[in-house]
Amino acid sequence: MIDDSKAIEITNLSKIFKGGARGEVRALDDVSFDVHTGEIFGLLGPNGAGKTTMVKLLLGSLYPTSGTASINGHDISTEAARHKIGFLPENHQFPSYLTGRQMLLYFGGMAGLPQAELKTKIDFLLKMVGMFDWRNSKLKKYSKGMMQRLGLAQALINDPEIIFLDEPTDGVDPIGRREIRDILLNLKRQGKTIFLNSHLLSEVESVCDRVGILNKGKLIKTGPIGGLITAKPAYRVETAGLTENIIGKIKESFPGANIEDNIISITLDDSKQINNLVDLLRQSEIDVISVTPIKVSLEDSFMRLIKGEEVHE
Amino acid sequence: MSKFYAILLDTFLEIRSSKIIYLYAAITLVLLLVFGLFPSIDIESGNIPKGSLFSPELASEVMAFFFSGFLGFVIFLMVFGSAWLLPAYLSRGRVELILSKPINRFRLLSMKFAAVFMIKSGILITMTILIWIILAIRLDSFSGYFFFGLLLGCLQFLAIYTIVFAIGVIGRSGVLAIMGYFIIRIVSGLLSSREIVYNFLGDSVWKTIIDIFYYILPKIGEMDSNYKSLMTGNGFSNTFAIYTTLAFSAALFLITLFIFRRRDF
Repeated sequence: MIDDSKAIEITNLSKIFKGGARGEVRALDDVSFDVHTGEIFGLLGPNGAGKTTMVKLLLGSLYPTSGTASINGHDISTEAARHKIGFLPENHQFPSYLTGRQMLLYFGGMAGLPQAELKTKIDFLLKMVGMFDWRNSKLKKYSKGMMQRLGLAQALINDPEIIFLDEPTDGVDPIGRREIRDILLNLKRQGKTIFLNSHLLSEVESVCDRVGILNKGKLIKTGPIGGLITAKPAYRVETAGLTENIIGKIKESFPGANIEDNIISITLDDSKQINNLVDLLRQSEIDVISVTPIKVSLEDSFMRLIKGEEVHE
Repeated sequence: MSKFYAILLDTFLEIRSSKIIYLYAAITLVLLLVFGLFPSIDIESGNIPKGSLFSPELASEVMAFFFSGFLGFVIFLMVFGSAWLLPAYLSRGRVELILSKPINRFRLLSMKFAAVFMIKSGILITMTILIWIILAIRLDSFSGYFFFGLLLGCLQFLAIYTIVFAIGVIGRSGVLAIMGYFIIRIVSGLLSSREIVYNFLGDSVWKTIIDIFYYILPKIGEMDSNYKSLMTGNGFSNTFAIYTTLAFSAALFLITLFIFRRRDF
């Protein structure tokens, strides 16, 4: 259940990288947003938008140039902010000389867990991610997908309250992706907060409650998923046959309508207006075969936002 | 499980997985066989007094002669064996995970340093003691002075590893760390012979500059001169080299910690 308390608060956070061939780079520019306790928050953006920079700032790999952020009420510069969090980075490099079990033992120890507790927890997590049979094999024998599953187990080793996942299904097959998605939804039901970076918009659309969209270091939109995928109502109306006369009448009443091969595609200001179109067709004795709402996908909204077009909520 | 134990275990497994550990084992085995089976030969000339190689009369000289060279050689190998450890630990994809854990950077790096040093010096001590036992049996001399030499070896490794560690953290390159070690070794050797260079310098300003570098930089080569005096029961012959080298190492270690603490990864 999502509550109003804030698991993560970010206020005017900026990160400027100096030096290098490109001179000064504003990786993040005055970004502010919150993540509520118990929600799955997705951070989207094209390559180089600043998503990984954001995660690194929150988790202590990078220091902010300006601004503040807190995790569970603790400033990100403190050790306390990293208690009870789990993290799976993108392009992680787990030590290849360790076995699956040893790797979890190591990261569990680094998280401060007692050894007795670790042993039972490791077996449970390995079974949960489907890697129990590989627990004594060295990581150098693991495929990318297997490494990703193990990485997810590592992120959960200390029973975190907030989990940061950067491209968690990268390299995972469709069945594995489904399983990871189910794990994430199950974690949400347990009251965990998940901060998810992903390029897979379909994945974000299926698990996230809210999203933030970054582009060139700036936050251009945050909001519930429902708001971003519900733009103006659009419909696809299939008819038995349209005459030139009726096409003219439709275009007169609905100037934005697109008519092709007896199919009318139309975006309306109000969903009730579809009744007006159907009435017009019936009055002209045109048979209506089907009326199908066109769902605007997150990808469509995302592309429009990145290009600077307005998305109506 | 304590965080230090987790780091120690991980470091142990990492070192164990490297092929160089087989080299250490092979060297130890070969020397054990050589000293165990090599016939005692007569020494006719050279720096060691005349007598039989494995006679008790020559025990302290043989021990000092052998172990000063052996420890230097093994420490040299250990530089190669440990130069890559910190760069690998701080590599992209691994360091972000480690830094996301609830541990401050000072403690993290200090524990990693301690873990590497403990394991490597443990290997050094084990190798040395095994060979000493065989040699002591052959020489019929179980002198405790040997352990002072072993302690000096560990201190020398501590000083050298601090340099390798610092360059590994700052430069994030094992190759740079090895090069840095060689450069400092060569420069410190040259500085210990600075009196020769003074003959060519008329200007006292350059002499002062050279002296400053001499006093600041570690004196790893000069520490070697202590082995013989220690192992023959005559105490330290050059404590100045030891104190200044350890002071340099401590300062370098602290500088490394501060740089690491403020660094973006």
